[in-house]
Amino acid sequence: MIDFLLPSLGADMDRAKLNLWLVGPGDPVHKGQIIAEVETEKAVLEVECWDEGVIEELLVQPGPEWLPVGTLIARIRSVEPAQTPGPVETPTAPAQKPLPARPPAGRPEPAPPIRHLAHELGVDLSTLQGTGEGGTITRSDVRAATAPADKPTAIPISGELRIKASPRARFLANRLGLDLGQVPASGPGGMVTAADVESQPIPAVEPEDKVGAMRRAIARSMAHSKREIPHYYLATHIDLDEALRWLDVQNAERSVAERILPAALLLKATALGLREIPDLNGHWIDDSFRPSSSIHLGVAVSIREGGLVAPAIHDADQLDLGEMMARLRDLVNRARSWRLRSSEMSDPTMTVTNLGDRGVETAFPVIIPPQVAMVGLGKVVDTVVAVEGSPVVHPVIHATLSADHRVTDGHRGGLFLATIDRLLQEPQSL
Amino acid sequence: MTPEQARRVIFEVLADIAPEVDESTVDDDHDLTEQLDLDSMDYLNWMVGINEETGVDIPQRDVSEFLTIAGAVAYLVTHSPEPARVSAEAAGPARGLAALEGRAG
Repeated sequence: MIDFLLPSLGADMDRAKLNLWLVGPGDPVHKGQIIAEVETEKAVLEVECWDEGVIEELLVQPGPEWLPVGTLIARIRSVEPAQTPGPVETPTAPAQKPLPARPPAGRPEPAPPIRHLAHELGVDLSTLQGTGEGGTITRSDVRAATAPADKPTAIPISGELRIKASPRARFLANRLGLDLGQVPASGPGGMVTAADVESQPIPAVEPEDKVGAMRRAIARSMAHSKREIPHYYLATHIDLDEALRWLDVQNAERSVAERILPAALLLKATALGLREIPDLNGHWIDDSFRPSSSIHLGVAVSIREGGLVAPAIHDADQLDLGEMMARLRDLVNRARSWRLRSSEMSDPTMTVTNLGDRGVETAFPVIIPPQVAMVGLGKVVDTVVAVEGSPVVHPVIHATLSADHRVTDGHRGGLFLATIDRLLQEPQSL
Repeated sequence: MTPEQARRVIFEVLADIAPEVDESTVDDDHDLTEQLDLDSMDYLNWMVGINEETGVDIPQRDVSEFLTIAGAVAYLVTHSPEPARVSAEAAGPARGLAALEGRAG
C-alpha cells in the first residue's frame, strides 16, 4: 500500500485546500496522472500521482480547510508494473485530466486556450467536429457545442459539479465573490454569461481575496530571500541582431499558431548555459548547495489581476525551439487561468523573468528560495553598436543575473552570461 | 466579412485573454498592447484565436497591422473570404462565422 501525501507545492507554500478529486476508490492510476486539484495561496494546482496502482481509499474530502504539505490524503494499492522492456512507459489506464479529452488522432491538437475554454464550458472535445483549417476545433465549435437547453447545467467531474460559464463570467464572479452555481444562466446550453453575473446583487460577505493571498505568499518568499540570500548582481548587453534575423526567417515559414517568440529563444539559450555552468542550477538546502541533474527552468508569469507565479518548464535544455514555444505558451496560459501542476510549482531549478515584455530595459531579480540564481531579461532596444569599427544599429537586450554568493562568485556568474551571449550568436544551434 | 463581424470576433477572442476588458473603453486607434497591458504571449494568443475563428492567415510580415483594433478590423475585412451568400445574419452570428470558417478551411 502506498501512502499518498499532499506534495510539496513550491517555495514557502506549506499548505493547500483540496478542491476536488479526479479519481475515486477502485480507479487505476499511473505515473504523471493528475488525480486531484488543490488550491494554494498562489494558484490552483493539479496534483500529479507518481505511482502505479489502484486508488484504495480517499482519506480527505474536498473542503475549505487548510491541509499542511505532507498530509496523508489517499492510499494507493500498488500494482506490479508490467514487465515490458525498454524505456518507454505505457500508461495502464486512460489519463483522467481536468482538461477535456483530446480529439481522435489524425486531427490537429486544439490550442491550449481552446482546450481551456472547452474545460470552462464543460465541452468534451473528443465529440466535436472541427470546422477550422484541417479540421481544427475552433472557439465557435466549442461554443456551438453548448447546445440550447432551458435550464442551467453543470458537468459532473468525478462526483463534483462544474458550472458552465464564460471566462469573463468566471472572472467577474471571482472578483465579486459570487458563487457561480447560484447565478441563473441565460447563455446557450445553460452557460452563465457575464451579463448574468453582472445582474446579481453583490454579496454582503467579503469575497475571498485570491490576489491578496498571493501577495502575502510573495511577501513571505521574497522577504525570506532578501533576509537569507546574499545576492550579487551582474549585467551585460547582448546583441540580438543575428538571433532575431534568424528567427524572422523561421517565423516567415510558420503559421501564426506555430510562431516562435524571442522569449523561447532566450529561454533555450539560458537552459543550455546552465548545462555549461551547472553551479547556478539547483537548490540551497540545509546550509549546502544541492546541484540538480535536470534543468527545470522557472518562468516568471505575471497574472492580470496582480501578482505572479514562476512555474517550471521541465527539462528545458532538451527541448527544440518549437517544443519550447509550445510548452511556454501552454504554461503561461495555464498559469493565467490558475491551472498549474504541483510539480511545476515545486521543482524549478533556476528562474527567468522576462520583464522586457513590459517595456523594462533592465531587471534585477530577487532569487526565489531555495534556488540560487535568477536571470532577468530586459526589453529589446535598437542600439548603436560598433561592428568592425563602424557604428550600426542593432537590437540589443540587457541580460542580468542575480546569484547566491554562498554558492558562486561573480566570475562564474560572468561566465554564465557570456555563455548565453555566445549561444545567441549561433541561433541555428539552439 | 463585415467590419461588425470582424469586430465581434476580435473582442470575443480578446475576452478570453483579458476578461476584464470593457469593449466600450477601448480606443480603436491606440496601440492595443499598451492600452490593455498585453504581453507578447497575450498578443500572439489573440492573433492565433482570430486566425482560428476566421481562417484568415496572419503572416509574420503583417503582424504590425494588428497593433490597433482599427487595423485588425481593416485587415480581416480585406483578407477574409467573401461572406457566405446564405444569409449569415439569418443563421445567427456564431453560425455565420462558422460558415465563413468552413469556407476558409
